[in-house]
Amino acid sequence: MSNTNEMLVEFEAVGENESFARVVIAAFVTRLNPTLEELGDIKVAVSEAVTNAIIHGYEEKGGKIRITARLKENELTVQIEDWGKGIPDVEKAMEPLFTTKPEEERSGMGFSFMEAFTDELLVESKPGEGTRVTMKKVMGVQDGSNN
Amino acid sequence: MNYELKLEQDWLWIGLPGELDHFQAEGIRQAVKEKMQERYVKYVVFDFSRTNLMDSSGIGLIAGRYRELAARGGQVYVSNVSENMKKVLTMSGLYRIVTPWEQVIVEDSMNGVRI
Repeated sequence: MSNTNEMLVEFEAVGENESFARVVIAAFVTRLNPTLEELGDIKVAVSEAVTNAIIHGYEEKGGKIRITARLKENELTVQIEDWGKGIPDVEKAMEPLFTTKPEEERSGMGFSFMEAFTDELLVESKPGEGTRVTMKKVMGVQDGSNN
Repeated sequence: MNYELKLEQDWLWIGLPGELDHFQAEGIRQAVKEKMQERYVKYVVFDFSRTNLMDSSGIGLIAGRYRELAARGGQVYVSNVSENMKKVLTMSGLYRIVTPWEQVIVEDSMNGVRI
């Protein structure tokens, strides 16, 4: 088995696809033999990024979301991209509890969750052009049976 | 797996779905709103027995119900929380505003009180 793999999937920015995105990423990392906890962590992190694209990037008016994922040895790199309105101040947006939509009961913890559940988080955004979230996570190193 | 709602007097029990994300949270929020128009609710129990994933949308849902109920002197409880979900609830600081339901049962049986 080679030590690298890649995939790309693009789908509509609708709420029903949040669970689809989680299933896709879970299936992609299966060969790393992740623990249930690692699997849960990456599913939540991807769920957060996809939700952000749907409700903030596209403000629930729809659009396309692209997930690109790459495996190299035991490290997953996953990118979630949208071509929505973008984030004017990324640093501000990443502050815990900051939300532009308190009336929708957004907790303002999306980026905090992405940060907590992965090893590395990078957010790039341009107003009017879109947002790209990149996350890295090492998985499945605990059992040593990766062949 | 879908959610379930049960009303009993001024209690609302919410059986959460397997995965509580933004999409599910929106549906539950709407359904809860309707139930609370139907009846005066003072206490809400979020039952996690079927839930193995929750993202920050779930935190928003629970914190939102807390704000609503605290204003009328009510309370929010969480029940059957697995270790995985405990991690998320702790990380979000939600345990500062909600009470584990199992703890209430123990305390009440010690005091001889039944709810």
